[in-house]
Amino acid sequence: MTELGQALVFGVLAGSVYGLMATGLTLTFGVMKIVNMAQGALLIFSAYLCYTLWARFGIDPLLGGFIVTVPLAVLGVVLYKLVIQRVQRIDQGLTIVATFALALIAEAAIALAWGPNPAAATPRYFNQAFRIGSLTVPRAQFYTCLLAVGVTLALQAILKRTWLGHAITAAAENPEGARLVGVEPARVGAWIFAIATASTAFGGAAISFLYQFTPDSQDVWIGLTLSVIVLGGLGSVPGAFAAGLLLGVAEAITSTYISVRWAAAVPTLPILVALLIRPQGLLARATRQDTGT
Amino acid sequence: MTSNLVRRAVITLALAALAGIPLVSDDLYYQSVLMLTFMLAIGASGWNIMGGYAGYISLGNSAFIGLGAYTTGILAAKQGVSPFVGCLAGGLVAGLAAAFLSLVTRRTRGVYFVIVTFAALELLGVAATTWSGVTGGSQGLALPLPTWSMAYQNWPFYYPLLGLLVLTVAVSAAVRRGKLGLGLFAIADDEDKASGLGLRTAVYKMNAFVLAGTFTGIAGGIYAYYVAFLNVAAVFDIVTSMLIVLAALLGGRGTVWGPVLGAFIIEPLANLTSTSLGGADAGAIRLLLFGGLLGAVVLFLPRGVLPTVTGYCRRRQAPRRVPTRPAPAGAAGAAVPAHGPRQDGDPHGDVADDVLEACGLVKAFGGLRAVDGADLAVAAGRVTGLIGPNGSGKTTLFNLIDGTVRATSGQVVLAGQRIGRLGRPARAHAGLARTYQLPRLFGSLTVVENIVIPERRLSFARLWRHRVTAAERARAIAMLAELGLAPYADTSPAELSFGQRKLVELAQVRWLDPVVVLLDEPAAGISPALAERLADTIRSLAQRGTGVLLVEHDLPFLARLCQRVYVMANGKIIASGTAAQVSADRAVVDAYLGDEVALASAEPAP
Repeated sequence: MTELGQALVFGVLAGSVYGLMATGLTLTFGVMKIVNMAQGALLIFSAYLCYTLWARFGIDPLLGGFIVTVPLAVLGVVLYKLVIQRVQRIDQGLTIVATFALALIAEAAIALAWGPNPAAATPRYFNQAFRIGSLTVPRAQFYTCLLAVGVTLALQAILKRTWLGHAITAAAENPEGARLVGVEPARVGAWIFAIATASTAFGGAAISFLYQFTPDSQDVWIGLTLSVIVLGGLGSVPGAFAAGLLLGVAEAITSTYISVRWAAAVPTLPILVALLIRPQGLLARATRQDTGT
Repeated sequence: MTSNLVRRAVITLALAALAGIPLVSDDLYYQSVLMLTFMLAIGASGWNIMGGYAGYISLGNSAFIGLGAYTTGILAAKQGVSPFVGCLAGGLVAGLAAAFLSLVTRRTRGVYFVIVTFAALELLGVAATTWSGVTGGSQGLALPLPTWSMAYQNWPFYYPLLGLLVLTVAVSAAVRRGKLGLGLFAIADDEDKASGLGLRTAVYKMNAFVLAGTFTGIAGGIYAYYVAFLNVAAVFDIVTSMLIVLAALLGGRGTVWGPVLGAFIIEPLANLTSTSLGGADAGAIRLLLFGGLLGAVVLFLPRGVLPTVTGYCRRRQAPRRVPTRPAPAGAAGAAVPAHGPRQDGDPHGDVADDVLEACGLVKAFGGLRAVDGADLAVAAGRVTGLIGPNGSGKTTLFNLIDGTVRATSGQVVLAGQRIGRLGRPARAHAGLARTYQLPRLFGSLTVVENIVIPERRLSFARLWRHRVTAAERARAIAMLAELGLAPYADTSPAELSFGQRKLVELAQVRWLDPVVVLLDEPAAGISPALAERLADTIRSLAQRGTGVLLVEHDLPFLARLCQRVYVMANGKIIASGTAAQVSADRAVVDAYLGDEVALASAEPAP
């Protein structure tokens, strides 16, 4: 019983972070129908930035995450303006190839800047834990879980309650209509990329002290975040959070009861299953499909 | 003609040179570079069948190399099977995996396929590492070493790979020339429309991806024997997938020779960089180089080298290839009998059987009931009209009948067969066809190809027949002549006017020899002369026993064609009868609010 309880605690803590990491990806897909294959590289990039802030200046990685949002937002806008917007004009279907190329370029650039060796920040609390009864709650994971919930709620509030959020939703559902009422989809696109990459900074901060990472770990993280958004229904922020929790728990239970090595297969297996059985994701709603024709 | 000869001469010479190189030079390094190039060319040509022809981009095709290599390796190491036999098993396994992955495209489009291929590659990598009892796991897997004399150098690997490359390109060319390719290009253009014309798109895509998987898998098997040692990171490598995509895009996706050309550019470059770059950063620099190259190709050369070059040459040779003959107005070409006019149903009798019945069709989008219990019947050999204000649910009703949208409840019966649960291709096979308000022709096919593409049943032998057989061409030209469009037979539909495209779409529908045709505002936005030709075509459709359901706002147009008219408002059928009867109906006039004048001017049906 304790073993299961412990697996659930670990699973929920890790899963909330998975949800956080995938928010950027699900936002760009939901609004712009772009799968940003560079999401993993962006996560690793912000992890290295947080790591460097911690190693050089002793800035706590959680705080570092907030600082890193600024350069990442700028990077997001630059990528959108320089690459994405152009490729969209050439062939929408090629945007995924372009972002895949960006991921490889970013991985190479990170390797050149930081070297190929594994890195991990070790703030004071990284191996401390709270104890609740017989359950262990690692402090680092607990803090990132709080951060994940906070950021997801904040993003949800932006999308549902602000003018920008409404503009984003409008541009997503009907670009022509949005243009008619003065919402320029291209400008909204820049905002979306800024928000998506900025939110990635928090995911990177979490990676920087929860996991060891190398430049090529981007491959693992893009696989995991893709899995999260496929399960959650492409485009849905709450869906991504729920799917993240589900994956985290599934992974924890697999490592507890089957094998740690097979736990590595947990993120990718659901992609195949979900897409074969329920391609619209776990939490997607039915929408009109005939408006496009 | 001469350019064809030149092309053949170049290909023959290149092939002879490649076959001769190992005989005249015993430089093993160059042989190995060439073999890797063949591998990449096989991988890229295979990728191109799905990614280039059908437009389904895969980022996981190196998984097939891995599957082929590991199948061959395991069979050789554990069962003592010769790798030259084992590689065929490798191809089979990779082909089966491709068939399985292609199932994902049954209900989803575009990005989902990319994600699934990527995930499959990751998953197979994890499985190969973890399932160490069979695969050797992270220790790697050693294959038995070749036993032949060193005097043969790499020939036993070189020639099979070269042969496999020739075979892959030949098959890719055959696909492109055949009905399979025609369907794949149509899928890339407009998959919904293709399935509405009876193409079992899932089968087309599965065929394409299985071909890609099989050839790539066999190549992986030969490669396994050549390197004699397998490790997971080397064969299930995302970078190899990237090189496959890069080669195909750089050379020109959708062409037969582009991916081969791309491979012959990329692989030597990859070898050059891996031998000339040293030090800890070498891997990163290569990644930067190829990632950058992929990005640059997408941004600056999205069509690829081959189409860009041939396009340039063609523009220089022939300024424009527009039909010079003027389209003869009202050219009443020979009637089009070839297709066995339907004899069932008596078009001139007073009583006609209903061939299409919709009973209580409902479609709810959340709280909105776009179609709210619609009943209607279409008689064989008659034209039935459907009118209603914008937003009354006419197009949604069409979508429910043809299966674009699944009904919330209700039933559709076509010629006695319940089709409400069938997919779109199955409905087309049962004899249902439709046109669209804005014509949807396949832009990468010619006008004739557009007309002959519909199919009433799936046959695997047919997929390998020529895109347009001589008989089909003769019939299609006759149909075009009847519409006054014969000179446009071999042009792109983009060169036709809006109204001409509507006529071609109607011809496309007629090719299906349908039992019932749904026409969505055929006369809207076209010239009166074309509308007249269109009315003739609709009448001749009905005369051959086809039931026609016609959505139209132009009531006089309807009145001349239709014996029965249904009126729809707010998702319900509110009236039916002759055009004169419904235009006199108070409820109908209310529904239209102010269109009273137009309704009143409608003439009674003849």
